[in-house]
Amino acid sequence: MLTRLKGGRLYDPENGVDGEVRDLYIRSGRIVAAPADPAEANEVIDVSGRVVMAGAIDIHTHIGGGKVNIARAMLPEDHLGDRVGGRRHPHAGCGHAAPATRTAGYRYAEMGYVACFEPAMLPANARQAHLEMADTPMVDKGAYVLLGNDDFFLRALADKRDPDYLRDYVAWTLGAAQALAVKVVNPGGINAFKFNQRKLDLDENNCHYGVTPRDVLLALADAVRGLGLAHPLHIHGCNLGVPGNLATTLDTIQALDGLRAHLTHVQFHSYGTEGDRKFSSGAAPIAEMINAHDNVSLDVGQIMFGRTVTESGDSMRQFAGSAFASPKKWVGMDIECDAGCGVVPFHYRDRNFVNALQWAIGLELFLLVDDPWRIFLTTDHPNGAPFTSYPHLIRLLMDRSFRRDMLATINPDAAAASTLGSLDREYSLYEIAIMTRAAPARSLGLKGFGSLGVGARAHITVYKDDADREKMFTCPEYVFKDGQVIVRDGRVVKEVHGATHAVHPEFDRVIERDLDQYFDRYMTVSKDNLRIADDEIRDDGRGELVLHATVARP
Amino acid sequence: MPPTIVSRRASKPSPTSARRGVCPHCALLCDDVELRPAADGSHAVVANGCRRAAQRYARPAPAAEVHVAGAPTTLEDGIAAAARLLKRARQPLISGLATDVDGTRAAVNLAERCRAVLDHAHGDTLARVARLTQTRGWYATTLSEVRSRADFVLLVDTELGDRYESFARRCLGPRAGLNDDTPRTVGFIGPAGRLPRDAAPDLRLPCRSERVAEALLALLAELRGNPLAATRPAGLARRSLTELAERLRAARYATIVVTPAALGAACEPVLGAVCDIVDELNRDGRAAVLPLGGDDGAQSAVSTCTWLTGFPLRIGFGEVISYEPQAYAGTALLASGAADALVWIDAFGNCPEPPPGCPADRTIVLGATPSNLAGTCAVHITVGTPGIDHFARLVRTDAVVTLALPQQRDSGLPSIAGVLTRIAEKL
Repeated sequence: MLTRLKGGRLYDPENGVDGEVRDLYIRSGRIVAAPADPAEANEVIDVSGRVVMAGAIDIHTHIGGGKVNIARAMLPEDHLGDRVGGRRHPHAGCGHAAPATRTAGYRYAEMGYVACFEPAMLPANARQAHLEMADTPMVDKGAYVLLGNDDFFLRALADKRDPDYLRDYVAWTLGAAQALAVKVVNPGGINAFKFNQRKLDLDENNCHYGVTPRDVLLALADAVRGLGLAHPLHIHGCNLGVPGNLATTLDTIQALDGLRAHLTHVQFHSYGTEGDRKFSSGAAPIAEMINAHDNVSLDVGQIMFGRTVTESGDSMRQFAGSAFASPKKWVGMDIECDAGCGVVPFHYRDRNFVNALQWAIGLELFLLVDDPWRIFLTTDHPNGAPFTSYPHLIRLLMDRSFRRDMLATINPDAAAASTLGSLDREYSLYEIAIMTRAAPARSLGLKGFGSLGVGARAHITVYKDDADREKMFTCPEYVFKDGQVIVRDGRVVKEVHGATHAVHPEFDRVIERDLDQYFDRYMTVSKDNLRIADDEIRDDGRGELVLHATVARP
Repeated sequence: MPPTIVSRRASKPSPTSARRGVCPHCALLCDDVELRPAADGSHAVVANGCRRAAQRYARPAPAAEVHVAGAPTTLEDGIAAAARLLKRARQPLISGLATDVDGTRAAVNLAERCRAVLDHAHGDTLARVARLTQTRGWYATTLSEVRSRADFVLLVDTELGDRYESFARRCLGPRAGLNDDTPRTVGFIGPAGRLPRDAAPDLRLPCRSERVAEALLALLAELRGNPLAATRPAGLARRSLTELAERLRAARYATIVVTPAALGAACEPVLGAVCDIVDELNRDGRAAVLPLGGDDGAQSAVSTCTWLTGFPLRIGFGEVISYEPQAYAGTALLASGAADALVWIDAFGNCPEPPPGCPADRTIVLGATPSNLAGTCAVHITVGTPGIDHFARLVRTDAVVTLALPQQRDSGLPSIAGVLTRIAEKL
């Protein structure tokens, strides 16, 4: 079976194609070369005048795991106003900010997404996270395992174990948790909160272990480099949400000293202390620093106005943020000598100075960071806003006059304090395709994704060109996954399961002896029972495990 | 080097060798229990067990029997009869729901297919706990944090004897010195009859169950430095409350343990007061609550239902999903006759009798133990126990750790997931 997508305007940055009209051919789930005679195609789909891109990839979205499920359970009010029946989707579901797994999968596909990555999977909770991701249909998925707050790692760091030992531990954890990458959240700070430390800056000691976030970051970033993972250390830095944290963020970039790293939801880490309210934008110096350091990539964590829920492993900062819970309830947890979490419902208001400035800061970052290959489109779903607001965000980036209209509606003091009104940049379709397709695929090492080149997986989105980019990106005309039409006119027409992406880097098995002892002594699960077998992911054919090769570097 | 693939099946049973297992018989999911299999499919617990585990593991594998209207028949017939009954029903109820993650997935799918209401045998307690997180939230902790970090543990009217005997062994013994070597101390507030047998609390505040909430509010006032009118709040000496408050304040990491199911209707005031105390302690120090519960697959059912549908059980399927934590109480739907067909799921063999109200000829029982109901109800299918008769995944009491339990014996008993999926396919 050969399918020809005829006459589309292609935006395929991976292959340098910027809006050229070309045909695409699909066979057996892959994009193939044009046959000598176009008439060989068994099926022709006319997409003349349409915008064609690869399937989109979300590099940072909280779609599965304990804190996501806590948010679902504690927020029936979030769901009752946003229920979808079995006529709209293959299975009923609900949820605006904390959707049911199936609803999340369907909605992602309906926006043209083919892969989503859960960025904060605790080893102790990994099995549940994978079960939830297995119940998130339509998209491929994967997770970043959380390290750097677990007592095993911090003890080893405090004991000055050599880098090989730490690397072996990171490798064991990646394989045991079936993870694709490594994330650190408030390095050492979640652990410090268990010892009643309320603040931890880059060079402050964890009050128990006597190691600093800088020590943790460098050890983990080096381990990730040494293991040869495609995605660099994924960093949720110190002092999230604290006015003045811009200095911490700048120091963090410099501390990396050329080591590759991904800074996540940087909007929440870009605050100054200027002005009457001691809260100001730090976007400009941060963008300048990022522009000068090509070892660093970032995602923004844009906020949008409205109700949402913040779900984070950062129990220290969520505890502080719980004062602003709306409605007034929140759940915090210390978890298994591993990490923690905090789930705080939140209402971002456009008339509120701080919220309005947060909105502007995120957009400033998007517009001031020069290289779209190093900045990814996220709302840190659902922490800044639900992922369903991406089309609106794309319009804000692509349409200067719309952006200025929106700026005129927010808190006027915030608007005046932001440089947003003076920023003329408009993202092109090519740049949107970079930041939502080609760049995340490269960053995660997902071969065959984010590309319309010959040999790529046939993950394709087809949009009706529309000057209203929000409308356009809300409702793709076609979404192909592995060559099959899964969405037509913004509606799911075929339910597929999607694969799980992971790495199993090699390591010296000696580490397992120490881990066995550690687990037997301190934990309530044995090391071997924590580990998730490959067969559990494959689940008798229901799931698929895609293992990405890693090549160790000295 | 890829990780070794863990088999879904435990190593070949040998009559003499003991092996480590994961115990499915309460929500602590102890994974250090040592079992010796016997020829009849039962297991002797040779180490790290408890009375409950010993008793449950001693059950031999039941025969794989299926009854329709009291007459023995095949599994195929049983599934067909169940499907016919559900097809005719106006408002089916799927309850008991004592099963694993895969069983709950199948139950949610079946409920969607036949527009059933979904509840659990322990639905009242689950609804009370859910309501608490939906109205105020809490700061909670998990088993390993208690085992290795908590230096003071307060047990509040806990029922640790019959249900969570191993909790004391695993989490209240001497700390192994992850952080420091100061000894752990334990306090208890509640009736003397509920004193845990394996953890001798060194601070005891004896108090009748119905006055525990009052005692906790007095403790909260003490912690906040508010004046107390009563000279003996909840019948307790003021100095014992003061001492308890001092212990909680002095602890580096205090944990307050409750067993919500044991509290009954007092769950909300007691748990609410405990959460207030934890919040008060967390203003300047560190503390957390550990609710122990979720037996008979309840935690697995709640967690799975929540991620699949957005709601923690007591849901119904119509045009959209409805969530009615009061109206969808299974016992009430049965008592009022609103539910006209029942699928009762008891894969752990601890809740064999459904609540009264549904006529026997409209009752489908999927149970792990032989039951008199097999002779009277519309359909009775003997099913396997998760983690004994088939591979299973179960969510532990703290809703964080999920364990994979390999199959322990070849009984030929079907799983809940298998039976429900086949029923749904016929609808």
